[in-house]
Amino acid sequence: MRFDIILHSLGYLLRAAAVTVALSLAGIALGFVIGALVCAARRSGDRFLRRLGGFYVSFFRGVPLLVQLLFIYYFLAEYGLDVPAVVAAIGGLGLASGAYQAEILRGALNATPAGQAEAATALGFAPFDIWRRILLPQALRIAAPPLINEFILLLKASSLVSVVGIAELTRVSMNIASMTYRPFEAYLAGGMIYLAINLCLAAFGAFAERRLAAGGST
Amino acid sequence: MSFAVLLHYLPSLIAGFGVTVLCWSAGSILGLAIGFAVALLNRLPAPPLRWLLRAYVEILRGTPFLVQLFLLYAGGPYIGLRLSATAAGILGLGLYSSAYFAEIFRAGFAAVPQGQIEAAMSVGMTPGDILWRVTLPIALASTVPAIVNMLVILSKETVVLSIITVPELMYQMQTMAAETFTAFDAIFAMAIFYWLLVEAVSRVGRRLEIKLTAFMAREASA
Amino acid sequence: MIEIKRVSKSFGALQVLREVDLSVARSEVVCLIGPSGSGKSTLLRCVNFLEAYDSGEIRIEGRLIGYRDEPGGRRPMPARDLREMRREIGMVFQHFNLWPHMTALGNVAEPLKRVRGLPASEADERALAMLKRVGLADKAAAYPGKLSGGQQQRVAIARALAMQPRLMLFDEPTSALDPELVGEVLEVMRDLAAEGMTMLIVTHEMGFAAHVADRIAFIDSGRIVEQGPPKKVFHESAEPRVRQFLQTYHDRNSF
Repeated sequence: MRFDIILHSLGYLLRAAAVTVALSLAGIALGFVIGALVCAARRSGDRFLRRLGGFYVSFFRGVPLLVQLLFIYYFLAEYGLDVPAVVAAIGGLGLASGAYQAEILRGALNATPAGQAEAATALGFAPFDIWRRILLPQALRIAAPPLINEFILLLKASSLVSVVGIAELTRVSMNIASMTYRPFEAYLAGGMIYLAINLCLAAFGAFAERRLAAGGST
Repeated sequence: MSFAVLLHYLPSLIAGFGVTVLCWSAGSILGLAIGFAVALLNRLPAPPLRWLLRAYVEILRGTPFLVQLFLLYAGGPYIGLRLSATAAGILGLGLYSSAYFAEIFRAGFAAVPQGQIEAAMSVGMTPGDILWRVTLPIALASTVPAIVNMLVILSKETVVLSIITVPELMYQMQTMAAETFTAFDAIFAMAIFYWLLVEAVSRVGRRLEIKLTAFMAREASA
Repeated sequence: MIEIKRVSKSFGALQVLREVDLSVARSEVVCLIGPSGSGKSTLLRCVNFLEAYDSGEIRIEGRLIGYRDEPGGRRPMPARDLREMRREIGMVFQHFNLWPHMTALGNVAEPLKRVRGLPASEADERALAMLKRVGLADKAAAYPGKLSGGQQQRVAIARALAMQPRLMLFDEPTSALDPELVGEVLEVMRDLAAEGMTMLIVTHEMGFAAHVADRIAFIDSGRIVEQGPPKKVFHESAEPRVRQFLQTYHDRNSF
């Protein structure tokens, strides 16, 4: 085991880790917007919208992420759009994550007791206010732990983005492996950095869950 | 893409699908076996062992599948592990899924109502009998939905194997696409194919779940 | 039959049993009553060592359960000996605890096959006879999920009885039942008592206790505060806690 060689490249690895985290953050943010829209579509009164939402979820959860990423990449190439790989990557991660987040949000909204909205209506609240002050805060509280989990999953999934050449953690590990002829140590180092990030996220998730369950302030 | 071209590549695509199914089933069986063993061992009152098992699960679940594959395939020879791409793929799927299955089985064991174990203890059943006749049947029945779900997830993960050159469906598709300059069509077809496949398998899985839940719904109240 | 001497038990900082003394003679029916949290279920569960008592002695037919007294001090009883003793003690739980993946017949026959080592056909025969005894022979092939609470509890009684135990423990056997199902279970218990089974019952059914028990023991805060024949405890007790408890009971039940 020649870990000193890896120590040399630690700078590259950490920088790449930052890229991974940034990509994942952008992906989860995009996914949240898409997820919220799809969730709204699935809960709407319009049957076409409901079907469209259902189709979206089924497609983007059913097709493997790698296929989705390459699809977007080739799709954009086919139609002559010269988009940097990063945009394609974030788009791909966001579209996929959107499907899962739509389901998380849908579940959270379903879990919010309907009686509370009723009480608010009976008291004379406007619908928008019911959403803003009662339903949304509670739904978000329920959705927070699974959303943090989704972020962890997205972070791991971002490793597939390496196939379109972006210098995130997996790609850089590959580069170091081929440069130093020590693939085992290179991938072990990359893996351990992923693990470290995920353990921190998991700890944060557990902390958040405890805080939220204890009936937070509002 | 012309139909003639597709026909020309059909044998290799079918072979690729065969490799996909092979890797998926062998990986699943390996994962289920290891995961079950881990969950069983985790019940022993031996803190060092349980700590090791916990580390095993956390590491496999906390790192990307692709990195694990690279470690096995590219890094393996440096620790004396010379695997073919397919073997590495199967081993990778098996290890990766074993961590998830271990958690599923653990939750299953935890869900067995304590009262039913106490009833078995109060008639004087041995711990072995209690495990075999009471705990396991009840635990396993409750894990079916989660296991089916994981098997579906695993079927999607097989495409990642193409990156380490396992000749499964995605790999064959990309070979064909490269040789015929039809990347977009090929990838589009892949997407549709996988979508339909996963949707079909999910539906079958849900039907099985409903059947088994109906059977297990004959549970004693409380 | 059962000798409980100066038994104490704590759960962490909470002391649940304080030096309890109680004995149950052969063929005697003793009912434990008292407010929630008084320790009555804990005491019952100590008798077959589902809970480990901290100090004192519990002897079943003279044999100490749960521990072995050795020259060097008290040691936990070997698992095999504990299982042997448990075979002779039948227990019926508040939530029935039937095994959901076996039929009624399967539930009753399982201990006979696994613990008594009987061949399947003999075990099934005996199990069916037991189900007949509790009036459920026609439900032998039913799974617990399809049975009412009262039926499940009767199957649970049959399961305990099939082992031909020397004594039976009942932990609030009717508390989880709808009121109209309580009667069928009490009837089975009454028949058992009439046949001479030694029974220790934790219950809220005062009517049953008054008519069937040979002795009532009132527990409060981990101590037996009053003991004696039903007449004495229900009508002649001088203990304030007992009178208070019975008063609340009368208030709620005489409408």
